This record gives sequence, structure tokens and C-alpha cells, in this order.
Amino acid sequence: MSDHSLFGPTQIAPNCEKTVKQGGDAAKPFDDQTAPKISLRNVHKSFKGRKVLDNISMEIMPGESHIVIGLSGAGKSVLIKCILGLLRPDSGTILINDEDWFDMSIEERLRRMPCIGVLFQGAALFDSMCVWENVAFVLLQQSMPRADARKQAEQMLEMVGLPDIGDKMPAELSGGMKKRVGLARAICHRPEIIFYDEPLAGLDPVMSDVITILLKRLHETMNVTSLTIAHNMKLVQAFSDQVSMLYEGKIYAQISAQELQETKDPLIRQFVEGRAEGPIRFGFESDMSGQPGANDKEEVI
Amino acid sequence: MLILQSIGAATERLAHAFGLYPLMMAKVLARMRKPPWFFALIIRQCEKVGVQSLPVALLTAVFTGMVMALQSWVAFHRFGAESMIATVVSLSILRELGPVLVGLMVAGRVGASFAAELGTMRVSEQIDALWTLSTDPVRYLVMPRLIAVIVMMPLLVVLADAVGMFGGYVISVHVLDQNPHTYLRNSFEYLQLIDFYSGLLKAAVFGFIIGLVSCAEGYYCAGGAAGVGQATTRAVVISAMSILIADYILTAWIFQ
Repeated sequence: MSDHSLFGPTQIAPNCEKTVKQGGDAAKPFDDQTAPKISLRNVHKSFKGRKVLDNISMEIMPGESHIVIGLSGAGKSVLIKCILGLLRPDSGTILINDEDWFDMSIEERLRRMPCIGVLFQGAALFDSMCVWENVAFVLLQQSMPRADARKQAEQMLEMVGLPDIGDKMPAELSGGMKKRVGLARAICHRPEIIFYDEPLAGLDPVMSDVITILLKRLHETMNVTSLTIAHNMKLVQAFSDQVSMLYEGKIYAQISAQELQETKDPLIRQFVEGRAEGPIRFGFESDMSGQPGANDKEEVI
Repeated sequence: MLILQSIGAATERLAHAFGLYPLMMAKVLARMRKPPWFFALIIRQCEKVGVQSLPVALLTAVFTGMVMALQSWVAFHRFGAESMIATVVSLSILRELGPVLVGLMVAGRVGASFAAELGTMRVSEQIDALWTLSTDPVRYLVMPRLIAVIVMMPLLVVLADAVGMFGGYVISVHVLDQNPHTYLRNSFEYLQLIDFYSGLLKAAVFGFIIGLVSCAEGYYCAGGAAGVGQATTRAVVISAMSILIADYILTAWIFQ
């Protein structure tokens, strides 16, 4: 079965509600391909006085694969949680499909959620459900008959290379399998926007390559908008249209993957090349720095 | 200075803990008016809370009834009032021991389970995942558990009352040589309906306390595996203490 047959015109997410522009014509559905799918304006978020997101503004256009990179603790996961509505920013505006979800009631937000799919860092599969029930969770909540939901879940599992594991429990799966099941769950209801939170974290190089290929193929097949948190430069090169680098809670650079490779900026180069030496300091001197006498202990991050 | 710091930290922890419960209550109340209700999940939780707690509750009740009969006999034998054992056993079990002991057992068994389960779901991002899968975690996780424990506690107490009284009967009749007919007559002769209903009311209130405290502790859990452990401990300890405090308040209110 080809991937196209899986995503044919008959398989449209049942409740993927097309949203309506605020302040515009209420009868007109939101299908403007020139307007950003996700828009952040001057977003701030602090925890106990520490600025984690500091005046973040960015736009992600329809069909774009946007990757956010940055050091651990730079605020990437907080950023994604703010966009998903799991954390409320201290100030600023976050628009999805041109709507501010924080202005809505819980019911309204939940009605719009089928437009979104999320692959969590640890997959976040429900321990009490078997694999196919995890994958078909949204469909089952939408009262789809169990047989139909299972069939669709099995198709998704086949697509991520995991046929015949529908009856297994998440505890029986390896890390890589959990990630792929999480991916199948994220796409099963055909979302318009997919969020990937460090999709390659904790995976071996082979499985990382498998997931990278899967993400790329899904992006091309489904033509979705995606926002990915990543550290892996191979994934960035293979999968991104635009890259934002977060540093100390701010967007340090917003460039294409090509520009990311070619830039001479020392901070970006240090991150891309994965070196301990460079403008980012960690409170110790690397043995490879060639300057054993250096005694700069200032902690930047 | 160190003492002041410790007092300050303890007060902050207390305020934090007790702030969670009204917050969780407000979330539940806000969702009570509209569906979905997740009836299948309520039934599943009723089975977990009620049916699976039955052995613990009944075992506690039967031995409590037996001990009550023995202890009452020791006291009443001294002034020749052994016939009152039946009345004392049934009144104590219906009004106090049934609801309180079952409450404490359920707090230990079910409260710990709720807090650990929700806490693990929180730290492994499963609660976040529910939200992103168009499902309200409070409706899906908290409300079925809260409703189940409020409904099942009175049922458990009714069975525990019966089994506890039976335990007292067995000891009184077969060990202490009381007349079975007299014992049964005395067991019910001095009872009033309020003795039975007050126990049921207490059971429902204790169920509410267990459900609210343990779900709130689990739902707002943070700090990885250690955080889940702390939340579970807090859920059991705070539920148990709250049950004892609520028991006094309810007793004073009902029997004033």
C-alpha cells in the first residue's frame, strides 16, 4: 500500500475544525495559504524570576518545516508548551490559524485540538492502553467504531514500520518503537500542524536515521506544517525549511538550513559543530582547548 | 534563624498543598454542568475502588467487630452488663468504626494508587498528551476517580458494617457464650436510622476527601520519580488526617 493511498481524500480528520479569522468574515473558513499557521509576538515567560523566553517573535507558514535548536535549558520545550497551551506565557500573543487559543474556553480549545499532532520527547504513550488504542485514541474519543479505529491505527502503524504490534502494551516496546508509535498517534487523526519535541532523543544512530526518514516522508506526503525541537544536525539538514536558534531565552538567529551550515557566526558554529570550546562557556575549561592555564569560570548558560 | 526558616518553609509547603485542593475542586465543579461524562471510565474506576478494596475493607471490619466484642465483654463483665455488648458493637461500628476504618484503608490503597498513577502520568507527559489529543485531563482522569470513590465508599461501608457486626456476633455467641437471639435483638433494638445514615454520610464525605486530595496531589505532581513518591506519601497522610478531622466535625454536627 502506498503512502498516498493512506492519505487519500477519503481519510480526512473527522473533527479537524477549520478555524475562522478573528475580526474577519465569520462565514469564511481559514484556508489562507499566505497567512502564518503559527505566529508568536513578543512572547515572554519566566520561572521564579528567571527569563526562559524573552521577547520571542516568529512565524511559521503553511507547509513549512521549522526547527528550533539551542542548548539544553535554552527554553525550547517551554516554547513548544506555550504554543500548545500547556503553559500560559507571561505576556505576548500566540496565534494558531490566526486565533489566540488563550482567549478561548477549554471546550473551544479542545474542539480545535484535532488540528494538532504532537510527538513527545518520551513518546508519552498511555501505559494502560495497548498500542493500537494509543494510536487510535482521538478516533475512539470521537466515537468512531472500534473496528474502524483499529483498522486506521493499524494502517498508521504499518506506515511507521511497525505492523502486527497493535495488541502489545507500551511497556513491551523499545525506545525506538515507542517513538514510532508516538509518531503514528500524532498523525492518525490527520492534523494540520505537527509538533515534534526532540524526536531523536535517546535513540541509537540507526533508529535516528529511521525516524529522520519517516519524518521527512510524512512531511512530504501529508504536506503539514511542523515545528520541531531538535539537537541533531543531520535531522536539521534533512528536514528543515527554516531554523531558529534559541540562546538565553531569545531567538539568536532565524535562518535556513543552508545558511546554518554556511554561517561564520562563532556561536552558531560552536553549536553546529558540537564543540565545548567557543563563545558559549560551561564553567569549566575543556581539555581540548589547548589553554590549560585559562581560569575563566564564568557560567554563561 | 534556622527555626524561623524551617517554620517559613513548612508554612509555604502547607499553603501550597492546601491551595491545590480548592483549585482542583474548582476545576471539577466547572466541568460538572456539561458532558462528556466518560461513564465507561467511571464504571472501571468503581470496580477498582469498590470491588478491589472489598477484601481489605471486609477483613478490617470483621476483626474490628471481633475485637470490639472482646473488649466490650472485659468492660461490661466487671459490672454484669454483658448483654449490652451487642448494642455497643453495632453502634460503634455503624457510627464510627465502619466509615473511619474503611476510609483509612481506602485512603491507603486507593488514594496512594490515584496519586501514583496520575503523578506518573504527569511526569511522563501523558497528561500533556491527553490535552493535545483533544481530551480534557480533568474530565478524563480526575472526575471518574472522584465520582467512583464518592459512590463506592458508602457501599463498602454498608458491607463492612454488616461484616463487622457479624464478627462481633461470632465472638459473643461462640466464644463468650452469649445467647444468639438476645444478641441479635440487642444489636438492633437500640439502633436508630440516623446511626446508619450518619455512617453513610461520613463514608461519602471521606470518599470525597480521598478522591480530591489524592487526585490533586497526583495531577499537580512535579519532580520526577522522587516527586511521585512524595505526592503519594502526601496523598495518604493528608487523606488520613483529613478523615479523622472530618470525622470529629461530622460527629459533632450530626449528634449535637
